[in-house]
Amino acid sequence: MQAEARQDFAMRELVRELAEKKEKFLGMGGPEKVAQQHAKGKLAVRERLDLLFDKGTFTEYGLLAHAQPSVAPALAGKWTPADGVVTGIGDVDGRKAAIIAYDFTVMAGSMGMIGELKAARMRELALRLRIPLIWLLDSAGARIQETAGSTFARAGHLFREEVVMSGVVPLVAAMMGPCAAGTAYIPGLADFVPMVKGTSSMALGGSHLVRAAVGEEVSDEEMGGSAVHTRISGVADLEVPDDKTCIQVIKEYLSFFPSHNQEPPPVKETGDPVDRRCPELYDIVPTNQRRAYDVRKVIRAVVDEGYFFEMKPEWAKNVVTGFARFGGIPAGIVASQPMVMGGALDVNASDKVARFVWLCDAFGIPLVFLMDVPGFLVGSQVEREGIIRHGSKMLFAVSEATVPKVTVVLRKGYGAGYFVMNGAAYEPDYVVAWPTAEISVMGPEGAVNIIFRKEIEAAPEGERERIREERIRQIREAINPYLAAGWAGVDDIIDPADTRFAIWRGLTLGNRRVLERPWKKHGVLPV
Amino acid sequence: MTEVRAEMVANVWKVVAEPGAEVQAGEVLVVLESMKMEIPVEAPVSGKVIEVRVKEGDVVQDGDVVAVIG
Repeated sequence: MQAEARQDFAMRELVRELAEKKEKFLGMGGPEKVAQQHAKGKLAVRERLDLLFDKGTFTEYGLLAHAQPSVAPALAGKWTPADGVVTGIGDVDGRKAAIIAYDFTVMAGSMGMIGELKAARMRELALRLRIPLIWLLDSAGARIQETAGSTFARAGHLFREEVVMSGVVPLVAAMMGPCAAGTAYIPGLADFVPMVKGTSSMALGGSHLVRAAVGEEVSDEEMGGSAVHTRISGVADLEVPDDKTCIQVIKEYLSFFPSHNQEPPPVKETGDPVDRRCPELYDIVPTNQRRAYDVRKVIRAVVDEGYFFEMKPEWAKNVVTGFARFGGIPAGIVASQPMVMGGALDVNASDKVARFVWLCDAFGIPLVFLMDVPGFLVGSQVEREGIIRHGSKMLFAVSEATVPKVTVVLRKGYGAGYFVMNGAAYEPDYVVAWPTAEISVMGPEGAVNIIFRKEIEAAPEGERERIREERIRQIREAINPYLAAGWAGVDDIIDPADTRFAIWRGLTLGNRRVLERPWKKHGVLPV
Repeated sequence: MTEVRAEMVANVWKVVAEPGAEVQAGEVLVVLESMKMEIPVEAPVSGKVIEVRVKEGDVVQDGDVVAVIG
């Protein structure tokens, strides 16, 4: 009896020691460092996780890990709880997700050898358990004390593994602080990249390295802040004002996605009737084809409860991409934006759509195209920018997609623009046009010079303009939705007010599609 | 001083703004015509129109200054 009592005491002592240790590790870099984090307007890593995961669902992996001084003597005596990165699995709105959250309070969130073993563990588990992987990036980059020198020869698994995971499970890389140097490829390869305004940045070389390597004087914010990546480079998807909103948009984004690519996307009933008519559309889209309007108003009118989650809203604004629901069914929307550049497609717009279509197709999210496109931009400038290369990418992605597809031609559908906005030849399950639809290989002013050039040139000089106008009128008459419907080129012409119902019907029909491609290793992607 | 630039290659269809006029942010300064569409060029900021650098019928390139607001 006495011996048992002694053992009991010993175990309690061990448990007390364990609890003490954990308590200390959970404090990460300590109150002073956390206060510094707060002073920058950032939340501490555990506060971020509390916002992201449903209460009490987080299972932490590797809390007690820390840097090994035997690897890097320079780190002897350094306090490195969790080795600066919190990893684990928790529930995001009731569904599991894995996290790799770098913590700036521990050695500036630098990526050390042990921390990377933990990150590798999360990649392994997220892939095996088929759950999304979320990175919260707030890190000075690789921990040079541990990696300087040619031991680097065996590094680099993180990106290759991320590529293998791409399209299998959703990958989210949230920029909540710096993400310097090569690690910026983590967001580069991820599906969704929100950036917190003012505190986050990403660049292949941080400002110190840039000064040393190329002599440029530039701050991290100027070089790779959210203003650059959400407006100019197009690397990031959304600029958010603070950490709280950042976590919120991660949840909203994931709500449209299945946990992995072999699960259907989650249907979320909203109670908004699928046959709700939208007569407001009569006054949003001008019948004068030359007039611009904001297509986002059309989108908000037709989707469930007007809720539209836009991707890359500040970049390549001549097209609009984002997620919404129709009768609860999640869909990716690709819409021409006549308000910017007349909705003409250029290199960045092609990139934006191609990437978005690949994203939706990878996770079985149906696509809805709202077409009002005057065509691809033409001229020497876009040719030099490689519009053919980039336009091919959009053509490639749209052709390749096997998810349900619905196309609504609001007004213009010209030339290859009609094809890449998923015209009739691109396997829509339902393609409809408004009475305002203009579908043609090119506009009458362009066509007249090709078709009737000889006739016009042969006419006496005083007659030429009259003949030209007459021929333009003839061509214009042939650009008419009833001709498209008459040739069974579109499935129906609809009352614009019925657009929502038509899209929903197309999506529910498309849901039954069986579409198999010939076997191939992969296509040869134009980039 | 804010330079207002054309966002694409286009013909100048209509000049709306007059030098010296006060304009509000979002007000149309010039309407371009390109790709079968009217492309309004709006004032990015409120202020006085110091200069309009184009006239109707001109061709502008992507990035050309259309007007200056001060």
